[in-house]
Amino acid sequence: IWSKMFAVRSFRSLQFSFSQLGGTQQCLRSLSGSSNVVQKNDDMPLQMENPYKQPQKGCILCNITVDFKNVQLLSQFISPHTGRVYGRHITGLCGKKQREIAKAIKKAHSMGFMSVTHKDPHFMKDPNICDIRHLE
Amino acid sequence: MPRYELALIVKAMQRPETAALLRRTVETLMERGAVVRGLENLGEKLLPYKISKHNERHTRGGYFLIDFHAAPGIVTGLLDHLERDIDVVRPTVLKNDPEPSNGPCCGHPVASKHQDTV
Repeated sequence: IWSKMFAVRSFRSLQFSFSQLGGTQQCLRSLSGSSNVVQKNDDMPLQMENPYKQPQKGCILCNITVDFKNVQLLSQFISPHTGRVYGRHITGLCGKKQREIAKAIKKAHSMGFMSVTHKDPHFMKDPNICDIRHLE
Repeated sequence: MPRYELALIVKAMQRPETAALLRRTVETLMERGAVVRGLENLGEKLLPYKISKHNERHTRGGYFLIDFHAAPGIVTGLLDHLERDIDVVRPTVLKNDPEPSNGPCCGHPVASKHQDTV
């Protein structure tokens, strides 16, 4: 009995697939018959660039050249008490600029342009661009 | 010829002595076949840390920048010569080739700063 039921089910599924195929074939025949009418699919979506796309946001040093001579700029990314370079999660810079800043700071240290252990007192009043809060 | 930059930190001296030092430095450069492009004076400043050089402890120094084109072979000889000069505190030669500007800078999205995570 079980095998019969299985056979019946499979037959029905075959019937269904054949009817579908026949239907589409009929559809196609009707379309090709009226060839003088322009065939268009009006309800397909148009391919276009995302109209709500926002301009790409860059880090704060986008399009600013980083130099070892520019000690004031470099001092904005170091701790005022210890002179340590802040990490990427604090400065908020992109990978390229963070590496440039770190390299420039180390270069300035070795060349005698910038102090290693503290921040130059003249630059203490500069605006804070890093995401860090100091104890008053 | 590649382009170099000599960042020179000299002893805090009177004007005629500094002028004499710069003159002989540029003459040394030209003798070795370098083409000096320009000379910049960054002023006499307090050094970021005390530097001991040639049996002297320096606190103040004059900062100069000399831009020049030279063959790569003379750089080590030049640095050797400058190290021997008693009026020079710290000589550094760097490469200064203009980089080809890449496309849009910072095409990568910046990671948002998480302040609320505990």
